[in-house]
Amino acid sequence: MMQRPQVAWDDVSVGDDLPEISLVINTRRLFLQASGSQDWYPVHFDAAFAQKAGHEGVFMNTGFVQAAIVRLLTDWMGDAGFLKRLRIEMRRQHRPGDTMLCRGRVTAKGERDGALWVNLEVWTENEREGVATPGEATVILPKRRATAD
Amino acid sequence: MPDYDIEAVREKYIGFQTAKAQGRYPVEYDPIRRHCQMVEDTNPLFLDPKYAAGTEHGAVLCPPSGWLALYFASFGPWPAAFEPLFPIVPTPGKRIVNMSQEIEWSARIEVGDRLSVVRRIADVFQKGIAIDPAAVWIVAELEITNEDDEVVCVIRNTMLTHRTPEEVAAQA
Repeated sequence: MMQRPQVAWDDVSVGDDLPEISLVINTRRLFLQASGSQDWYPVHFDAAFAQKAGHEGVFMNTGFVQAAIVRLLTDWMGDAGFLKRLRIEMRRQHRPGDTMLCRGRVTAKGERDGALWVNLEVWTENEREGVATPGEATVILPKRRATAD
Repeated sequence: MPDYDIEAVREKYIGFQTAKAQGRYPVEYDPIRRHCQMVEDTNPLFLDPKYAAGTEHGAVLCPPSGWLALYFASFGPWPAAFEPLFPIVPTPGKRIVNMSQEIEWSARIEVGDRLSVVRRIADVFQKGIAIDPAAVWIVAELEITNEDDEVVCVIRNTMLTHRTPEEVAAQA
């Protein structure tokens, strides 16, 4: 079976953008969110419950947003990449009617204790709120194989 | 607002640690599939046993989501393997918002692993928000280990707890 493309640390440059992901947030996505995250806190699917707490309406949970950012990173880093660290801040919300974009950019790269690391800025955004979930990640990547292999 | 002594809560709960709890089931294919489906993740390393067997990993991996690791370590089984955070730390409000999560990974998780978790209260503090001047923030650290007692990840989670506007008005 064909292996997926593998990015090598040598081929990554500071400033590189990751291929973005776009997810439409609608009622179907709310059901998928509950199924996929097993988060049954009603603020994520019951508008009356959410509004009583002072929110404008239901909003997507941390498990969903984290899964999308993890997809952004794992799609890019390939099978041999290793996500070492991820930090996200849930500053603004994604709600039905929004289209959530996940984006990332390489901010630094280096070598430490034999590991070839890449730091990235990652975030989600939507048209209504702008950047909703800023974050940062560190990924360990393999070195490019010598062509004489 | 009813009497709520944040200093007493801090003194009692900061540093409190739960006993190690093991998820009832091993890491399984279908919860991973559902997790991937919600964000349209078609990565065969997470979904296709035949593909995964041909990689250096040799088995389907769990996507590196702290949320999913915690699911397999505790929240996945119903009823939950241990009580959620709220009964541990008393707060004036019972509404929750996750504010941030940081995950440091040490090892990959694969289908069949048995995960356990120890949860520790790292900080509790009171900091008002627009709708509740008595909102309480809880910082929890969760260490997730596998069946070999190897740490696979440490999650640092900051949660905001608050009252509803109705409760704030009633208790003013």
